[in-house]
Amino acid sequence: MGTTPESGTGTTNRAGEAPEQVGLSTEASAEATVTEEGTELERSIGLVGGIAIGVGTMIGAGIFVFPGLAAGRAGPAAAGSFAIGAVIALLVALPASELATAMPKSGGGYYFISRALGALPGAVVGISIWLGLVFATAFYLVGFGNYAAALLAEAGVGLGGVPIVMPMALVFGVLLTALNLFGTENAAKLQNYVVGLLLTILVLFLGFGGLDALGVFGSQSTPETFFRYGPFPMFTTAALVFTSYLGFAQVATVAGDIKQPGRNLPLAMVGSVLIVAVLYVATIFVATSAFGSARLETFGETAIVEVARNFVGSAGALAILLAGLLATVSSANASILSTSRAVFAVSRDALLPKVASRMNLKYGTPHVALAMAGGPVLVLVALGEVEVLAEVASFLHLVMYGLMCVALIAMRRDEPEWYDPDFRVPAYPLVAGVGALASFGLIGFMQPASQVIGIAIMLAAAGWYKYYAADVMLKGVL
Amino acid sequence: MSDDDPAPLAADSTSDQDLDIREPPRVLIPVEVLEGRAISEPLVEFLAPASIVLLGYHVLPEQTPTEQASMQFEERARTAIEDIADAFRGVGRGVETRVAFTHDRDQTVERVAAEVGATATLLPNPTGAIEDVVVPIRGAVDVGRLADLVATLLAGRAGAVTLWGLDTGGEFDADAAVERARQTLLDRGLPAEQIDTEHSDSDAPVRDIVDRSDEFDIIVMGAGGPSLLSSLLGDATERVAEGAVAPVLVVRKRPDPPERTE
Repeated sequence: MGTTPESGTGTTNRAGEAPEQVGLSTEASAEATVTEEGTELERSIGLVGGIAIGVGTMIGAGIFVFPGLAAGRAGPAAAGSFAIGAVIALLVALPASELATAMPKSGGGYYFISRALGALPGAVVGISIWLGLVFATAFYLVGFGNYAAALLAEAGVGLGGVPIVMPMALVFGVLLTALNLFGTENAAKLQNYVVGLLLTILVLFLGFGGLDALGVFGSQSTPETFFRYGPFPMFTTAALVFTSYLGFAQVATVAGDIKQPGRNLPLAMVGSVLIVAVLYVATIFVATSAFGSARLETFGETAIVEVARNFVGSAGALAILLAGLLATVSSANASILSTSRAVFAVSRDALLPKVASRMNLKYGTPHVALAMAGGPVLVLVALGEVEVLAEVASFLHLVMYGLMCVALIAMRRDEPEWYDPDFRVPAYPLVAGVGALASFGLIGFMQPASQVIGIAIMLAAAGWYKYYAADVMLKGVL
Repeated sequence: MSDDDPAPLAADSTSDQDLDIREPPRVLIPVEVLEGRAISEPLVEFLAPASIVLLGYHVLPEQTPTEQASMQFEERARTAIEDIADAFRGVGRGVETRVAFTHDRDQTVERVAAEVGATATLLPNPTGAIEDVVVPIRGAVDVGRLADLVATLLAGRAGAVTLWGLDTGGEFDADAAVERARQTLLDRGLPAEQIDTEHSDSDAPVRDIVDRSDEFDIIVMGAGGPSLLSSLLGDATERVAEGAVAPVLVVRKRPDPPERTE
């Protein structure tokens, strides 16, 4: 990896399409980007919006799906797993920020890697990210299904034992895709409110639970050894729960829409990682204090609801159920959006057929790309392997994260003329180097099944590139 | 950025409502360019004395990158906006065109208006011949800019302007404001017989303006400042524009700091 085998002479793919150049003028102002033609592209997302995208994407899984699963595997050390994830996410968020301020374009990680390392790694990452987000979305939707089922059970709606988790997840997958196909008015603003509401509920819950766990209210907290199952599961669990931190990179995929990217992109990425990391670690601490990890595990994907019930009764349970629904939907929706942007970026570069980036004039939405997100999601939801879904998503993202760190090193070494980031990583060789090693290293702790699926997807992506677009050159092309 | 000299603006803001004849007022016309919108001929003709900035914009839902839209529709948007510009070039004083892809129309219009130093923004509803101009006054207005716009547009033509004070019963003295506006228009050379004044007591100025909009051919009003009500219901001028039969020219506030130099 890191070498570019571009030896062909042409720059077109098998269908004769060449990468589309959107010659953006270098003088991108704070509020709008100007193309070479003089057309203005308005930047409409502020810092709060950027953080809401990051937090909104990340907060679904870590708190509402994982506590039961993670505590079952690592015991109270699951809090450590989340902390490890946070450190890796931060190590990657810094290089990602620098690259994003230098290249504030749609596509995020794919764009950086294809420009710094070349078309083959670019194609592998682009296609992996598309599918990685598909896996992540499916995982969030299954989480949603669990919460919807739990909410119905809580409300006393009897379904006579009919399993409704899958059907709910499928129905919502269809709804979200349709919503995005027909345009979402004010969804970004809504996202800000949803994230605000979520944070409020969680802070109240964690504040109360934390005080309780520390014995302030005098109730019994369960003493338990931190490394209940030894230290090794802490790392394998970190690999599993890393899915919780996939959101910050989505901020980079909307880099073209962020006002004052030089300031807001790094702040949004790093800030959202810090916010959710604190919440995750606190949640696991509170949850494992409320119940033993063995009991927590029996509650499964909605364990955190039982924790809330333990503290504040059924009102707490309802509040958390509601928050869980909001969080999983918001994560799933943000991921579908990012998927379509990834597909757009790859097809703009002629690595996928151009038709994938077609827009529908009536609704103004990229309908082909959205279908390429929503369709496979439904297939995966129907398979319903939660842990594998989460891990494959993590796997594919970790590859991208590692390569982003490598891309930063490559960029800094060549430092092309146009490379002028507003934000520069402090102690860059160390941060980027450790970030790359940690990202690739975490992959080693995954289940073999996830590793096999992940590698298969990457090989398939490389094969596709060789077959379809071997002549396309992207390295160093802005 | 502008082909006109922005300097006089700076000079004006010091002499405030002095009557020096300014550069032609700049009118920003945002056009939803891919929706096949056009500017009606009488409106083009009416605005001929002003310098025009045509902003062709296309609003995208949040899930679509602006880059993607510009790749696919840039050519089309440019052609469409140039077609509209040609109509103005036939009669007018100078037309600048801009094309923007955005997720937020208001933000784009506001940004461009500030960048070009627009005196007013046109919300182009269709219209027939333009003879009767109404200027509803329902709060402090920038009389200098208003006169600049109205006097220039009506200079040497037959149209009449109605200054309509809407008294909402607060501290604001509508009659005094109307009188001040009338005097300024007179000073700017508009004959007295072309100026009418009216007074209404009104609880709901926006509704009253909309209700009477069919009596006039164009509405010229000041931009309302942001208020709680406007964030709930939408900006007053927006609500007028949506409800009104006639086009609406929204006179922008003078930029707070003396115009930045470029």
